[in-house]
Amino acid sequence: MNLSDMRTYANDEIVDVVVVGTGAGGAPLLARLAERGLKVIALEAGPNLDPDDFTNDEVEAPRINWMSERLSGGEAPTAFGPNNSGWGVGGGTLHWGAFTPRPDIRDLRLQSETGVGADWPIDHAELIRYIVDVERTIGVSGPSSYPWDTEREYLEPPVDRNAPADLMALGCSRLGIRATDAPAAILSRSRDQAHHGRRLASQNLGSIHQGERYGTKATTALTYLPAAVAAGAEIRADAMVHGIERDELGRVTGVVYRQNGIEKRQRCATLVLAGGGIETPRLLLNTGIGNSSGLVGRNFLAHGAVQVWGRFDEQIRGYRGYPSALISEDFVRPEGVTFAGGYLLQSLGVMPLTYATTLVRGGGLWGSELLDALDSYRHMAGIGINGECLPAEGNRLVLSDETDEWGVPRAVVTFTPGPNEQAIDEHATATMTRILEAAGARDTQVFARTAHTLGTCRMSDDPAAGVVDGDGRSHDVPNLWICDNSTFPSALTANPGLAQMALSLRTADRMLR
Amino acid sequence: MTGTIFFLPGLGLGAEAAAPLAAALGDRFRVVGIDLPGQGEAPDAADGSVGALAGAALEAIEAESDGGPWLLVAHSMGGKVAALVISRVLGGQANVFGLAGAVLLAPSPPTPEPMDDGKRAQMLSWADDGPLSEADARAFVDQNVAAPLGDSDQRNAVGLVRRTSALSWRRWLSEGSREDVSATVGTIDLPVVVLAGEEDVDLGASAQPGLLGRVYPRARFVSLPDTVHLLPYERAREVAAAVVELWESTVSVSPAVPPHWGRVVASDRTPVEARALLARRAIADDVHYEPRALSAAQLTTLGALADRVVPQPEGRRIDLAARVDAELASGSGDGWRPAGLPDDASAYRLGLDALAAVWPAGEAEQNALVARIVDGESIEGAPWSDDLLRLWFEDARNDLVRNWLAHPASLARVGYDGFATSGPGAGPAGYVELAAGTRDPWEPDDLGALASGHDDPKTDTDPGALTGRENTA
Repeated sequence: MNLSDMRTYANDEIVDVVVVGTGAGGAPLLARLAERGLKVIALEAGPNLDPDDFTNDEVEAPRINWMSERLSGGEAPTAFGPNNSGWGVGGGTLHWGAFTPRPDIRDLRLQSETGVGADWPIDHAELIRYIVDVERTIGVSGPSSYPWDTEREYLEPPVDRNAPADLMALGCSRLGIRATDAPAAILSRSRDQAHHGRRLASQNLGSIHQGERYGTKATTALTYLPAAVAAGAEIRADAMVHGIERDELGRVTGVVYRQNGIEKRQRCATLVLAGGGIETPRLLLNTGIGNSSGLVGRNFLAHGAVQVWGRFDEQIRGYRGYPSALISEDFVRPEGVTFAGGYLLQSLGVMPLTYATTLVRGGGLWGSELLDALDSYRHMAGIGINGECLPAEGNRLVLSDETDEWGVPRAVVTFTPGPNEQAIDEHATATMTRILEAAGARDTQVFARTAHTLGTCRMSDDPAAGVVDGDGRSHDVPNLWICDNSTFPSALTANPGLAQMALSLRTADRMLR
Repeated sequence: MTGTIFFLPGLGLGAEAAAPLAAALGDRFRVVGIDLPGQGEAPDAADGSVGALAGAALEAIEAESDGGPWLLVAHSMGGKVAALVISRVLGGQANVFGLAGAVLLAPSPPTPEPMDDGKRAQMLSWADDGPLSEADARAFVDQNVAAPLGDSDQRNAVGLVRRTSALSWRRWLSEGSREDVSATVGTIDLPVVVLAGEEDVDLGASAQPGLLGRVYPRARFVSLPDTVHLLPYERAREVAAAVVELWESTVSVSPAVPPHWGRVVASDRTPVEARALLARRAIADDVHYEPRALSAAQLTTLGALADRVVPQPEGRRIDLAARVDAELASGSGDGWRPAGLPDDASAYRLGLDALAAVWPAGEAEQNALVARIVDGESIEGAPWSDDLLRLWFEDARNDLVRNWLAHPASLARVGYDGFATSGPGAGPAGYVELAAGTRDPWEPDDLGALASGHDDPKTDTDPGALTGRENTA
């Protein structure tokens, strides 16, 4: 994005707020604080990118992903790299799928409702007000009538359905399952975005996870960050924060970061960490700050993301079009089950190398079976879930003895699905298989997967039960805030991006009180 | 499938100088001679730079290429032009696809061409008053052959020299030959054969390895006795043999990208970077590849494993082990690894050594071993627990199949043409038809039916049909 004329601040100037990270957590807050007249700086570990820096080539596209190695353990090791955190101005929104369901009220009250998991210390109606604000700002397309929330309104008509969406719709209708066009942060009509310029309507690209050149997909680099810069924020790219400085009282006085090989310090009155579910706890554990609860790195949550693919006679070629154009919320609370929580369904198209990795890692395929499966790629339509995940003692992030290129200990993330996750997976697998078969699939295949990195600095009313309060402020350090999905106390069945942007605006408003 | 040979002539010659090579090659190849600016009927270039010559050569190649594989044969001056042409093609900056290798004939190097001042002055003087005289043209040809050419070749060569524009002749001697394009060209990772005469003074067999060894690390240098400089005439049969041998060792042993797919890669729908990546991945692997992250023994084990994990037909193969080794050496990685495993390259070394110790001889036994590891069983002498061995093995399987699938022939095989989105001439950038069984007009016709109302713009007799943006409208 264009940063050439932005306001800049000196390292020794005590700015009001430093924000670490420019994705869904950091960017909306940065814009709101700047618009209220605060002196704010965002530090982004990755580079500033131009539209032509995005490539549809899956081998090269991870230039927008956090590729510095993380170590994964447990029975379902989390696949990082292209699957997770972002790299560059725009953070994770550069690669996100832009699938934007709203959080369900029942998911925010999981503990009260089921006795397991955790409640959110946040009022659902208030969160939705912020979400409506975000949807308007970034441009969210969706159906004219939403079956599970009849009062909801999307300002943009839905994007085109691709073949997997058509087939999921067919299968669902034959089974009496409600499904509709997915809410997506993809423009269905072109628009002029304030402080950015022209954004085109959807080009039906299947490569949005690799980055997108035309502004059809909302990223913070097209929306909140230009607004922030216009309001006087500075964004420093290639700036990796690895230290936090404090005074005798324990209050944050600045951050230490490395930029182009040079160690620098930025003084600030308030610090916001928005580096995501891995980088934020890694920094806190490495600096030993904000962890009186002992919960930094604990309660690591990964959404269940099992996929079922069906083979159809016709060429499906689901790499065309928005990959997740259909949604069903019928299983947010399925009937007759013993597990807590539920899951969302989405139709799936996929890029070829991503599919090959799924076949290898999720399906255990090799040899002629693997090649046969790849030869069927063009005939495959998929359905996937975003499923609730309960916290577990062993699922956590700790520091390794090994250091990364900045001298910071690498993160070791351990994840093993528990009985509740397994039960959701089984239920969802049966549901998705039925839908695909009803749509005419010849045969189906199941691939294990998880997605997203949540919960490692959870929010709580009780200081002993979390790292930050419901506003995002550290229970320990009054001028330290966290604004990213590490604060999610439970996973939600909704994908985290939209809710995170809403939380970001809300935390900004709390900071301004 | 008929292969295409594009021929870039030396100074004073022209497209017709490809005739002896075409005759020696017979029907198997389509030989396309190209008049460089100032040669034959071609007008002079806008300036005397090598870049202007390369631009003209690329326009001709774009116009004549059919999306299928091709080799570049370039002589003398044409060799310097070829270096820029190749670098642009492999950089994705031309609307072509399918370059498989080059045969360079006494090529002028990307650096300033070594040339005696007296000789340069004499040659310049020949064009003082316009195109060369009959006598000067004869003198030029005679100086550059070891034995007199046959009457017909002699007549043709002299005729071409006389048709060369005086301006282009002078420009080459005073500008192009002296230009240093080596920084632009860099290092070219392409199968190349360099033929040169033992009797040639400046661009002869003994000089070529020093002039080109660093430009073309995969070059093979061939020395021709009793030969001076006009190889297209003096040694047409040897040149033809080198072309056939290069073709057999590259195109014939590599997975084939169907020409109608190649035309989509070449088209303006495909972004420059994606075209460059696909062009480089389509190049045949080096049979003499020296591993950079693994030992030779480990590379061999990885190759044997690759044959089980991603079986490829005999005869047309991608060297997946070499490609994975190159990736390991680059340290690119995939952003994570199982806790308990060392860094990727170290894990591969340990894992492959352990695998080598128990690797059985027969294919069925090898498959059984692979199946056991995938299922989480240990092997004798394993460096890690069963689970870590399985996880390393999963990484290795994934790396192998991704390298296979990233090859354009594999993408065509599985029916993926998404590389042709978001290019400079793609309007719209993505797809219009999304329904099952359908395709957009620009897509390869094996991907579905056109929606009614579309006329298929492609025909088998129009090789350029997909190369221009006008076809995407």
